[in-house]
Amino acid sequence: MTRPSPWFIAVLLLPGIGLIAVFIGAVIYIAIAQSVGFYNLTGDSGFSMEFWEKLIGRKSYWTAVRYSLFIGFWAAVLSVAVAYPLALWLRKPFKGSLTISAILKAPLMIHGIVAAFLFLNIISYNGLVNQLLVWTGIFDDPRRLQNDSGAVGLLFLQVWKNMPFALLLLTGAVQSIPQDTLNAAQDLGAGTVERFRRIIAPLTVSAMQAALIIVFIDALADFTFQTTVGPTNRQSLSQYMEFFRGRGRWNEAAGVGVTLMALSLIGAVLMALTARLIFRERPIARVVTWYETRRVEAQT
Amino acid sequence: MIKKLLIASVLALSATPLLAEGHATAWTDIEAQAKEEGEVTWFVWYFGDRFREFTQQFTDETGITVTIPDGDHASNIDKFLAETNRDAGDIDVLAFGVDRVESIPTDMLMMLDNLPEDEGRMTEIVGVDGSNTALGYWGNQTGIAYDPTKIAQADLPQSVEDFAAFWAANPGKMGFNYENGGSGPSFLHNILRVMSDDAYADGELSDDKIAKTDDGIALFNEYAANYEITASNADSLTRLSDGEFTLVPAWEDHMAGLQNSGEIRSDLAFYIPEMGMFGGGNFVAIPKNAPHPAAAQLFIAWLTSPEVQTELNALFGSMPMNTGSDDSAALVPNSMRDRQMPWTQNPFRDAVLDRFIEDVVLER
Repeated sequence: MTRPSPWFIAVLLLPGIGLIAVFIGAVIYIAIAQSVGFYNLTGDSGFSMEFWEKLIGRKSYWTAVRYSLFIGFWAAVLSVAVAYPLALWLRKPFKGSLTISAILKAPLMIHGIVAAFLFLNIISYNGLVNQLLVWTGIFDDPRRLQNDSGAVGLLFLQVWKNMPFALLLLTGAVQSIPQDTLNAAQDLGAGTVERFRRIIAPLTVSAMQAALIIVFIDALADFTFQTTVGPTNRQSLSQYMEFFRGRGRWNEAAGVGVTLMALSLIGAVLMALTARLIFRERPIARVVTWYETRRVEAQT
Repeated sequence: MIKKLLIASVLALSATPLLAEGHATAWTDIEAQAKEEGEVTWFVWYFGDRFREFTQQFTDETGITVTIPDGDHASNIDKFLAETNRDAGDIDVLAFGVDRVESIPTDMLMMLDNLPEDEGRMTEIVGVDGSNTALGYWGNQTGIAYDPTKIAQADLPQSVEDFAAFWAANPGKMGFNYENGGSGPSFLHNILRVMSDDAYADGELSDDKIAKTDDGIALFNEYAANYEITASNADSLTRLSDGEFTLVPAWEDHMAGLQNSGEIRSDLAFYIPEMGMFGGGNFVAIPKNAPHPAAAQLFIAWLTSPEVQTELNALFGSMPMNTGSDDSAALVPNSMRDRQMPWTQNPFRDAVLDRFIEDVVLER
């Protein structure tokens, strides 16, 4: 059988990949073009760096960049950190594990805005948390917990919403590790942390990378949680973009959009590379090396 | 010469009934055409669900279906601007706030000359003229909502000094938003306006005018720990109702609407401080490329009629935009209305808000 021509393969792929490339490409093109003065709804259109100069001259722009990166990074790391022990716990089925797994994944089915308002009700000035803390005597009076400037509430919601997704990815990866490998490590004296660090994490690093990238991009571009429970003394990039768009300042909004896209790409690549660098050898090679070393040590 | 003038006058007088009849016929024709068109699409950015319910009576009276798509203020205006080059757009009636008038080119709107005579209709809101292409249908006013169980009417802050004294004596008991709604911005702009001489006299932007807001910005920074920044208009009112705050800026109509629907406490009250706060209203207009122009005119005639304006006042707390209406359901007495200040136009207003974010919000 002769190999089909690359052109033929390209034509076959075109309806799928081509459409995606055209739609994503069009959005990126328009955003970049608007950020440099083209496609104005009213007035003259033409190349200008004026909007970028205004944007990067603002403290609020750099605050939004730093703040969004902070939220994206910690949401991704914390979601994966919480998902790992749960994935390991649920690795082998036990009575009730299916129910627990289903409950843990329930946040995937709840829309972010619903969760945000439920959370607000719970932590509001006269909400359940304040009532409980006043009733137990821990607080003398209700305290202001919502929209905390440290973004603790926002990160809690981000992890609550994104952890199930990380769990979904990691559960499959963790379940694929042969029990023999883990038993062998245990026989050779590896404790819980050592088994995770030297065997489980390297063997599931691809799933970890996927989870980190997806959660990072999702949290970096967050709008819903930020506008409801996020700090009011700073704006996320998407909130900042909406701030400009709502005032008809499309060119500056496009500049923020381009920043958001660039940071999503760069940040996701960095997250994935960092995870890979921490476990820099190929997982199986690392495991085999470690196993051989331990075996030699045990023999001597 | 006198003879010619007399003849001309007699001819003009004799033609008047014909003209009046002509106008009446034209409106009858418009009504007939409107019924033929059978539908009207109203782009209004707030109270979508409630307006769908409210406009059902127009459908019942005329048989014309009213469609209200979802969309925010800016998106609706952007859509209107984006489709001006189309032969027929999607918008029959566009609602827009007085603060966005400068975004709406009047030459892209249909003249409203054909509407039946009604001297009570308002074409001007706080000095902004709809230029015979837009009519006021919704009057609104920003002010301060307060919890009467926590503060007596006599103690309500009326001036910049009063607000500073309130912040000093009641830390954390006042909150306001700077985005997601105009009530908080109205409050902060008016504090800055009072403290900046004539900088707010017009919408022109200059470094000198921005520099005049220095004292106001310093005041907000001095008391930064004593007031809260809220997330939106609704967030301010919800937290006032919940007992967290004593004072919050609010829209009169927004507050009345939430009280009528039971979403916030009905005992909360509202006033316009003596230093003045922004008020205004919203216009309706018909784009030149409206797909159902006759139905759109009929709808606007209905919406701005005294009866419907009275109903809007009773149901939503909006200020009627027809002098023939009854405004007794308003939250503030008419004697307070002279404290209304017109919204300062852009680019100055946005530039001051940008400065407030940079120099006050981000410094918190």
